[in-house]
Amino acid sequence: MAVPMHTSNRLFLPARDTRMLLIKWVVALIVPLAVFNFVWQGDALINNVILGFINPASAPVTDGQLVEAVIFIAIFYLTLLALAGYLVAADSGRRGVLEVWIDILIFTVVPILLIVATSNNLILGLALCGIVWPIYFILRRRIPFLSFLNPKSVPPPEGLRLIDSEQRAIMIGRARAGGFWFGTSFAVIWLFVDLIFFLSGQLPTELLVVTAIRTVLLPLGGYFLGQLGGMLAVRRTLAANGNGNGNHASEESSLRSRRQKERQILATSRASEETRAVVPNDLPLRSTGARNFFLILLVAFVVFYPVIDPFLFGSGTAGRLSGYNDAGYYVILALGLNIVVGFAGLLDLGYVAFFAIGAYAWGIVGSTQLGFISPIHIPFNALSGLFWPMLLVTALIAAGWGVLLGAPTLRLRGDYLAIVTLGFGEIVPVVFLNLDTLTNGTNGIVGVHSPAFFGVFWSQITPIPYYYLILALIGLTIFANIRLRDSRLGRAWIAMREDEIAAASSGVNLVRTKLFAFGTGAFFSGLAGAYYSAKLGGVSPETFGFGDSVIYLAMVVIGGIGSIPGVIVGALTVYSINLFILNSLDTLASDPTNFLHSFDQFIVNIVPGFTFGNIRNLVFGIILIVIMIFRPAGLIPSARRRRELTRAPEGEAALELGSLDVTTTDPGFEAEVRIE
Amino acid sequence: MSVEQVREHSGQPLLDLQNVSKHFGGLAAVQDVNLQIWPGEIISIIGPNGAGKTTVFNLITGIYRASVGDISLDGASLVGLTPDRVLRRGIARTFQNIRLFNNMTVMENVLVGQHSQLSASILGSLFRPPRVHNEEANARVRAIELLGFFGNELIERQEEYVINLSYAQKRRVEIARALGSKPKLLLLDEPTAGMNEVETLEAVKYVRRLRDELDLTILLIEHKLAVTMGISDRIAVLDYGRKIAEGLPEDIRRNEQVIAAYLGKPTVAEQQTAD
Repeated sequence: MAVPMHTSNRLFLPARDTRMLLIKWVVALIVPLAVFNFVWQGDALINNVILGFINPASAPVTDGQLVEAVIFIAIFYLTLLALAGYLVAADSGRRGVLEVWIDILIFTVVPILLIVATSNNLILGLALCGIVWPIYFILRRRIPFLSFLNPKSVPPPEGLRLIDSEQRAIMIGRARAGGFWFGTSFAVIWLFVDLIFFLSGQLPTELLVVTAIRTVLLPLGGYFLGQLGGMLAVRRTLAANGNGNGNHASEESSLRSRRQKERQILATSRASEETRAVVPNDLPLRSTGARNFFLILLVAFVVFYPVIDPFLFGSGTAGRLSGYNDAGYYVILALGLNIVVGFAGLLDLGYVAFFAIGAYAWGIVGSTQLGFISPIHIPFNALSGLFWPMLLVTALIAAGWGVLLGAPTLRLRGDYLAIVTLGFGEIVPVVFLNLDTLTNGTNGIVGVHSPAFFGVFWSQITPIPYYYLILALIGLTIFANIRLRDSRLGRAWIAMREDEIAAASSGVNLVRTKLFAFGTGAFFSGLAGAYYSAKLGGVSPETFGFGDSVIYLAMVVIGGIGSIPGVIVGALTVYSINLFILNSLDTLASDPTNFLHSFDQFIVNIVPGFTFGNIRNLVFGIILIVIMIFRPAGLIPSARRRRELTRAPEGEAALELGSLDVTTTDPGFEAEVRIE
Repeated sequence: MSVEQVREHSGQPLLDLQNVSKHFGGLAAVQDVNLQIWPGEIISIIGPNGAGKTTVFNLITGIYRASVGDISLDGASLVGLTPDRVLRRGIARTFQNIRLFNNMTVMENVLVGQHSQLSASILGSLFRPPRVHNEEANARVRAIELLGFFGNELIERQEEYVINLSYAQKRRVEIARALGSKPKLLLLDEPTAGMNEVETLEAVKYVRRLRDELDLTILLIEHKLAVTMGISDRIAVLDYGRKIAEGLPEDIRRNEQVIAAYLGKPTVAEQQTAD
């Protein structure tokens, strides 16, 4: 273990090994932060916000938005200071300095630089990362010179010893030093940059005050926040007397002592996966403790995005937000389908049906259509407020249809289930198309009302409220997914997916469990449907087709079946490819100064009529094939799936690859038997 | 010979198979089987391969539905119930080929075994009120107790995926999973299959402990005659779907028809009247 016994905790002249540790992590964090600040206008963000306070007339945003921007900045830098403390405390000493620096470079600095290089296009920059990173992975595996960069296969953690209070104090001391020196170094660098700008006349004098304050605050904040980070790290150590891993002691002392015993046994067991949760560990960047810091940063970024977007990306906020709003409902659809396909293992090829049901449900109620088909006339101003309860009602209607359409499939397996769901996926939109009296047929429904919130009426041209609505809905969906996955019902789903007969023989009621899966999956697509028709202001049956069901399935599979972060990334990836990236490439290519232009011209000579947008389906298909060959578990596989696809159990036949297939290791008759 | 032993049992049998038959098309997998099991017994079903032993298990647990006859537990008929309802009546089983949930950990497998004992609904799962929270915590504690029946080894490995376990360990996890539902009757399908002598002895020990410490009635399918003879209170012998003998181990060992069935002499299988 890397915590030596005789380190003193001097702050200003740290001992030699602490010094190495500090250099390792402070540099590792400073470089990306410096790139963010000085290359990508992170400091411009702050300066503009401050100028906005000082001189309100010149600011492009309102006072309220300025305050929000300040909150974001505070969260951002404070989290980084605490993270510095955590990383220093959590370091296990096994990964070398160079490895960590190169890792940080590739995974943090490269994206920022790519975003800057693509003229501040966030999506395009990230998409290019999706090309650069696999290249890096391949290179570091193939080139012997770079082989030291590969994560080492971790031997069972014999070295994972229990920590006593003296070592804990050392860890916290280190964390304090880490935070302090990180804050200090960054303050110094920033001071330096500001002075240069000031001397060259580009920095308004008012901001010098801010510079001074900041130079004092950063080291101070680093000291205390580093200590906080260290304490968080210490909570995740295995302690002889505590109960480690931050578990709360329950009332029963027998339970506590049992848990304590488990933790001690865990320290010497072969469960190497758990080393990612326990400190110190080998992968501090990927540890579950550090992950919380990254989540805070990500959530802060996403929540405050509409406010900081004008500062970071310039004009065009509304357009970008509109694009993200569209991507948002794809995420909800992917998460909903993940329940059906990922958790319960029911191959659903007709998921678009429930999306259509949700969209039409609000479409009918939220417009004049309801007045046409029934004696109920709702006054217009009430319609907008009605959206909120209708959101729940629509989802429940879709869930009900999920149960109804799932019922005929209960005895079917695998492929047959897929065909029936495919059938429903075709039937429902056609029904909507032809039920003229109810749904206005091919003309669709127009004039669907947007929701209102506390008297403020939304419309299609203000994307910000929709952005927060979809964020809230996504948050709800993620929360529900996680809760369900770790519950009795979630276990029943996964058991049913693994082995229906064993699940039934363990008490799982197959009928109810399957219906719950369909119903829950349809619930979320109903949510997405209501949002969709409200945002679009209308519904038309042509938008729902089999191709869409396939796209939703592709999102889930590419992202990682059964993995919640995976399908989110999968949804965003598929959406970006299909609707975003290639069009952006077209825009870039039409600019004669861009190198893409000549490339484009060259191809047009060979294949007239070529645009990047045209080859969208070709590119999508190629990406699907490539991912399925090289990474069949998906972009962010769930832990189970990765295991399923990369190892065969000793002494038994290897599992079949698709969780969508019935496993052929079922003995004899039992596999063929229907359960009545 | 076995008539006297049968008469010693008083009261209603725990499990009662009356003239049970199962036909798959023209094939009679099980024909006219009668069997009674009283509480606290360890009964073995033996017979050559293909005799229909696992089919009897499947009939009892509801995976197949009996074509003819009745199966009842404590007097209540089980015929036509789905396997999960049979489990809730109090019959749990293990499988010949070990059917664990491979992509779940040991702990999760045993928790699924307790599915019928937990009552969290979908709303309860979503909102996790204190009742559900406590239920889950208690379920985990109970799971560790169940695993602890086999010593510390499985408790240590509770977060490992079952795919990584050894064969003997997998069998034990399967039994722990079956015990989760607090059954009255435990059906073990070849619990010592594939085990060497040491492991077999251990298995025999814990089968006895299951009956003694946990108050279970056990119905075994077993191929190793040494095991059956040593552990069973009574043995029933199946051949070609019929019960050809039933009785105490020492009687079965000497029974001519049983020997013929195993060694393959061309003898007509006769129904042994055990009533």
